[in-house]
Amino acid sequence: MFSKAVRQELCSIVGEDWFLDTPEDLATYSYDAFLPEFIPDGVILPAKTEQVSRIMQVATREKIPVTPRGAGTNICGGSVAKQGGLVMAFNRMNEIVEVDAEDMCATVQPGVVNADLQKLVAGYGLMYPPDPASMFVSTIGGNVALNAGGPRGVKYGVTRDYVLGLEVVLPSGAVIRTGGKSLKNVSGFDLTRLICGSEGTLGIITEIIVKLVVLPSAKATLQAIFSDLNDAAKTVSAIIGSGIVPTTLELMDKVVLDVIGSYGGATFRKDAEALLLIEVDGDASLVDAQGRRIEEFCRARGAVEVQRASTQAEADKLWQARRSAFGAVASRRPNCIVEDATVPVKQLPEIIRKIVELSQRYRLKIGVLAHAGDGNLHPLIMTDLRDKDEMERIERALEEMYETAIGMGGTLSGEHGIGIAKKRFLKMEFSDSAMEIMKGIKRVFDPDNILNPGSFLM
Amino acid sequence: MKSDELAHEFNQCIKCGLCMATCPACKELLLEKYSPRGKVQLARYYARGELELSERYRDIFAKCLLCGACGATCPSGVDLKKIFLGMREEIAGKKGAHPLTLGAVQSLARNRNISGEDNEERWDWKESLKGVPEEVFHKKKAEVVYFVGCVSSFFPMVQSIPQNFVRILSEAKSDFTVLGGEEWCCGFPLIGAGLTREVEELKAHNLEKIRALGAGKVVFSCPSCFRMWKEYYGTDVEMLHATQFIHEMVRNKTIRFNRTDMTVTYHDPCDLGRNAGVFDAPREILKAVPGLTLVELENNRMKSVCCGGGGNVEMVAPDLSGAVAQKKIEEIRRTGAKTVLTSCQQCVRTIKGRARRQKVDLQVMDINEFVYRMMEKK
Repeated sequence: MFSKAVRQELCSIVGEDWFLDTPEDLATYSYDAFLPEFIPDGVILPAKTEQVSRIMQVATREKIPVTPRGAGTNICGGSVAKQGGLVMAFNRMNEIVEVDAEDMCATVQPGVVNADLQKLVAGYGLMYPPDPASMFVSTIGGNVALNAGGPRGVKYGVTRDYVLGLEVVLPSGAVIRTGGKSLKNVSGFDLTRLICGSEGTLGIITEIIVKLVVLPSAKATLQAIFSDLNDAAKTVSAIIGSGIVPTTLELMDKVVLDVIGSYGGATFRKDAEALLLIEVDGDASLVDAQGRRIEEFCRARGAVEVQRASTQAEADKLWQARRSAFGAVASRRPNCIVEDATVPVKQLPEIIRKIVELSQRYRLKIGVLAHAGDGNLHPLIMTDLRDKDEMERIERALEEMYETAIGMGGTLSGEHGIGIAKKRFLKMEFSDSAMEIMKGIKRVFDPDNILNPGSFLM
Repeated sequence: MKSDELAHEFNQCIKCGLCMATCPACKELLLEKYSPRGKVQLARYYARGELELSERYRDIFAKCLLCGACGATCPSGVDLKKIFLGMREEIAGKKGAHPLTLGAVQSLARNRNISGEDNEERWDWKESLKGVPEEVFHKKKAEVVYFVGCVSSFFPMVQSIPQNFVRILSEAKSDFTVLGGEEWCCGFPLIGAGLTREVEELKAHNLEKIRALGAGKVVFSCPSCFRMWKEYYGTDVEMLHATQFIHEMVRNKTIRFNRTDMTVTYHDPCDLGRNAGVFDAPREILKAVPGLTLVELENNRMKSVCCGGGGNVEMVAPDLSGAVAQKKIEEIRRTGAKTVLTSCQQCVRTIKGRARRQKVDLQVMDINEFVYRMMEKK
């Protein structure tokens, strides 16, 4: 709870309508798409950088925790107020400030929805590549804070690869600018890339310059079904090793296929053990040749069925299974935990075998969906949080899975972030000295630890 | 609605937030409590006894167009509309009807219609009707009953809908009649107001009238009456929307069209399209008009965005209704078509009303009017 004076001061910065503290408002800013909920003391929606700066001055003076929030679609607990205080929501700062087609970049406010930017720049023949599954809702600010990825990551990389510059408000209220419009920039430390993925712990992002690429003129979409999961995983490595860089290379295992089948999302042949969805994009003649080569690759490595779409409608049909996967899995049991372990591509068969083994040993229902082309797995654990015994088994399975992934040279998180979801595993990936360096950086930016406290660092 | 039924629905919600991509109301209001996900959370809090039904609850749940777009997007298949209607019912049960819907609700109890006028005035739309023999309206038996609906009966802006539809039926020599003063409101506005129990009497009366006429078919120009009958009336009588009925007549060549060089777009009403699954009939009718060009809206069929006229929002939050209508008009204009056709009196009123106020040059026409205009007359 804030004192009357502080409440009044916050109201005077943004206006009465945009400071919220009714029980109904607090209840509806207590969650994101991860599991635990935390009730904030207040919610504030600034309209411009200057307001953010003034809010941060109050927060620093009063030692009020501030947790920035885009659309609240992250699945690591990144935007919930773990220690109470203020949730700062960016729905009002939702303007696309500029599309600079000549320099192939755009300047946006943090509350701009990813898909809205995509749609606008497509009109200029350009594309903003990061495409998280939440793109129709999630904001660029949130995407930058969490360094979001997406299925196009195999070819195009993740959000960090497209952030050229930022405007950031520090806890003191100071406004800094990092980077700019130029594509090359080696001046000083790369603060832009540091803040991208910092999960709202270093500063409040108030403006973003993103790099755009030319919208590809053609694409080829293929679906290959394998009766042996190993064949599918080996095909992935073979495609990546061949020099063809697919836009998307998704894998789904039998558990996921079965769930999709009974959900009514799509039907598959009986012997299907794994499915690959592959897409390449670029110049029409090149795409056609690559599509044919990939088809040969799949057949040569044991695919029992390969379909290549020749129209957009056919491509949409092939995407249908992948698109309905999450919903199918999510509706299976009361809760679904989406994990994010990522390994070097050639380790894919090994880690999938490990997950299958873990699910049997710990009696869990785990489906494997993977952005296979970049080794990013999304094991989907279908569960019920109220079942204590099962939750314990999940915990042990996760620990083993992450140890295995990191032992292979992988990571805890490919694209979802650490937040509170994987905080407890962080020591597997970082030595004490590495953790100290990160904490030191945090102290320089945020000496009072008021920015998203309780998140992955402290 | 039982609270365990509600709980079954909201326990399925994984808070992913994808519903916000299609909710026209929360895009305007910006705050999480107005989003489908936020409303689900509030339903949860209420069911668990953590929050009381405050006036704020009433305001929040009233600001929903009941368009069903959220449910169509939900990856977990949560029946969001069921939760929202259930909550409106709880709120009305505990705190009475929303003060701004009270006028309509009281009129329903007194006059059996939402307009506030005597129910005999239901004939009002027939006053200026020419070319349809009067005896059609006084039949003792008829194969088809046209259920006109309150809005089209009483609101001058859309009385042309029943006028044109009966002209079409008459031209096509259909054996039909209407109930006139004996037609009672279908009850749909009561469901939206959370007053489900009051529906029973209306339903029993309407079903009895249809039975007495020996009708095998009831036809509706109002998508909401159509849906109400299909979902709540539990009758074996065949129920068709006007577009389905006309499509049948187009298919068997009872209706033929003259040529035109018009370019139009078509707006799928939520209650006809997404909520009742009728997408093809209106499009098939338009396809049969030689020379006509139909340019689809960016968001069509299942993805159609509400006009702003749904969920009693026009009564309780006219600004929100207007803002959503504005977006609809902008989407229509992006097609380049100067005419938008639709199959719902409420959509016509909302879009036309907004366009007039904003002085937008846009022709908004119900499909019945278009069909009657274009059909070959005998």
